[in-house]
Amino acid sequence: MSFQDLFRLAWQSMWFHRQRSFLTLLGILIGIASVILLTSIGEGTRVYVLSEFTQFGTTLAAVNPGRIETSGAPGALGVTVNPLTLEDAAALDRIPGVERVAPVVMGAAEVEHAGRSRNVFVYGVTSSSPEVWRMRVRGGRFIPEMDWRRGAPLAVLGPKLSRELFGDQTSLGRHVRISGQRYLVIGVMQPKGQFLGFDIDDSAYIPVAEAGRLFNRLDLHEIDVLIANSSLIDTVVGRIKRTLIERHNMEEDFTITTQTGMLESLDRIIRIVSLAVGGIGAISLLVGSIGILTMMWISVNERTSEIGLVRAIGATSTQVLLLFLTEAILLSTVGGVLGLVAGIGLAQALHVYLPALPVSTPVEFVLLALIVSLLVGVGSGLLPARRAAALDPVVALTEE
Amino acid sequence: MRLSDLLRFAGGALHGHRLRTVLSVLGVAIGVASVILLTGLGEGARRYVTGEFASLGANLLIVIPGKTETKGMAPLINTAPHDLTRQDAEAILERVRSVQRVAPVVIGTARANAAERTREITVVGTTRDLLEIRHLKVARGRFLPRDVPEAALCVLGARVARELFPDQNPLGQLVRVGEWRFRVIGLMAPRGTSIGLDLDEIVAIPVDTALRVFNRTSLFRILAEVRSRSDLDGAERAVLALLRERHSGREDVTVMTQDSVLATFNQILGALTAALVGIAAISLGVAGLGIMNVMLVSVSERTREIGLLKAIGVTPSQVTAVFLVEAAILSSAGGCVGLLASVGVERLFLRLYPDFPIQPPGWAIASALAVSFSVGLIFGILPARNAARLDAVQALMRRKT
Repeated sequence: MSFQDLFRLAWQSMWFHRQRSFLTLLGILIGIASVILLTSIGEGTRVYVLSEFTQFGTTLAAVNPGRIETSGAPGALGVTVNPLTLEDAAALDRIPGVERVAPVVMGAAEVEHAGRSRNVFVYGVTSSSPEVWRMRVRGGRFIPEMDWRRGAPLAVLGPKLSRELFGDQTSLGRHVRISGQRYLVIGVMQPKGQFLGFDIDDSAYIPVAEAGRLFNRLDLHEIDVLIANSSLIDTVVGRIKRTLIERHNMEEDFTITTQTGMLESLDRIIRIVSLAVGGIGAISLLVGSIGILTMMWISVNERTSEIGLVRAIGATSTQVLLLFLTEAILLSTVGGVLGLVAGIGLAQALHVYLPALPVSTPVEFVLLALIVSLLVGVGSGLLPARRAAALDPVVALTEE
Repeated sequence: MRLSDLLRFAGGALHGHRLRTVLSVLGVAIGVASVILLTGLGEGARRYVTGEFASLGANLLIVIPGKTETKGMAPLINTAPHDLTRQDAEAILERVRSVQRVAPVVIGTARANAAERTREITVVGTTRDLLEIRHLKVARGRFLPRDVPEAALCVLGARVARELFPDQNPLGQLVRVGEWRFRVIGLMAPRGTSIGLDLDEIVAIPVDTALRVFNRTSLFRILAEVRSRSDLDGAERAVLALLRERHSGREDVTVMTQDSVLATFNQILGALTAALVGIAAISLGVAGLGIMNVMLVSVSERTREIGLLKAIGVTPSQVTAVFLVEAAILSSAGGCVGLLASVGVERLFLRLYPDFPIQPPGWAIASALAVSFSVGLIFGILPARNAARLDAVQALMRRKT
């Protein structure tokens, strides 16, 4: 029996029981569609989150005070006996392989202009920050190069903050009060948008020494280091660690997070979550394959005498096995292909309806879905097909 | 036809096709079990979080320095132009009448040395009242003395005490934190992690000393306990007004109530559970399709039987009832098996993770069973109507297929 014959016979018997075949493959369709939809959302989220992080560059390393192992959350505590200082930052700037260093002091403060005020994050930065964070100035200029320890009453506003305070007018050359102190606005940043739901455009930048005075602290929240190229990351991180340990009485009381390290762990977390959700979706697929098993079993029972006849005219038991297996595979793959189309369609429709929800269906997922539906067919068809193949032709023929 | 007759009839038909009955039941069982288990996981997570927060004390206001209008995942704010001070905390206790206890808190990490042993610790600078507010227990010695905000005394968390002083009594010994030396006056009872802070890892010292150790002027936060839950809103407003007055007219602090934090958590967990349960419930629909298919086959197989029933005077609605009951038995049996399976998995889960209170709420179990029952009824309608519409004469004459 050629493959074509097998296929034709299986198709005929599927077509003969259109209604029940349709219902059976509908089960697989729903299963595959929900798995594809869910993993597409998961993959979309993964791509989105990773791109959010890589917008800051992949050769970025952040040094925070405090050890993560002790506190669990460096951002929440970030206070140590030996804090990070501007001198530490200057020392890091001298390390070979370090391109730029951006010390950061941050806090929340009220920014006012002509009766309008807004509570935002104020960052104490240096002239190197735009390069390290990959940000651009839209109008005017950023904080100029100056002695880090000496401030100047200059401020650069995020576009949203500028709009909130000045409306459509330009804020360049005007003054704002930040917590009561007067600052000259010398620049407005280009919109950068949200970072994981946090609006970067709604903030103000002032020289790091000014922020230290404003927030009454001499130490830094963070030192961001731009490493010259990605092959140097490990070496440079090692040097940063040694330099700081030396400067901090031989104590490692800080934490270095590399962008690549963070990306890897994020990537892993999202993959696991998306796998788990996809797995829950796959329960439907399991139930759908039980449906195929049931229907094939019924079909073998109904066609006992037909099987006997086919065997009597010379068909081998292997051929009978293949016949039923082909039918099961046909059911599951047709269901799988339709489910794939439905899943991708739903995902795209969802994206149109909810543009904030990123979706992405990589080719591997499509191939995997097809392979899975094929395996579902083999898995659920094997038992009934073997039963059909094992029938004794004589007994089968006489049964009615 | 009586209900018992209907049941017996349907039961007999199902018994005749054991394998397909078992498979149909299995489909529904898998769906029901996964729905119940996921609800249980979601509910367990909710209880776990609620429990964590309850250990904080229910009537708590948390005052954090800094305030922003920027929404979203803001980093935890702890820097603002105006310091949050111990005097602010004392003013809250004095001037806001519904507040019965306050604890100023400074947290930081440091290295602690004692008798040649060194380890990283979390230093919590606070006052006596933290003990009651966080429901902490002292195992030996005493907690920080009242009204002594600045002294070189410390209380050790359980693990810190064990690791710094493995084979001697830590009470009365000296511990060096940074450049400072502290005398140990008490040991905390083991407590474990609470809202991200491992309480066995802490060393508690007086609040002003902590500010000096870390060279800080501002507190991290102030915990204020109000007398009763109904006072929370009023106290929140009063604290905000008081601090605005003390901070030269600027509202530069954020006040959180435990309820609002908990409500956010509950909302997130609820949405998450609903989404996962919804996804799992798709499988119930697929199982329903399976039942419908089997019932359709069953109707076509039993065409002659149906013809006979009709010939002896059984009405179409009775025929419908026969097949509906059969479908409902299939799906409710699946529901029961699924329920039993989920109970088994829960037991196993509890044995593996005794701390996680996985338990599906009663309404979830009831509705899962109700849904499984109605799955049979809904997906049984089409086959049952097919059966009822059969013409008695033609059905009887139909050759058996």
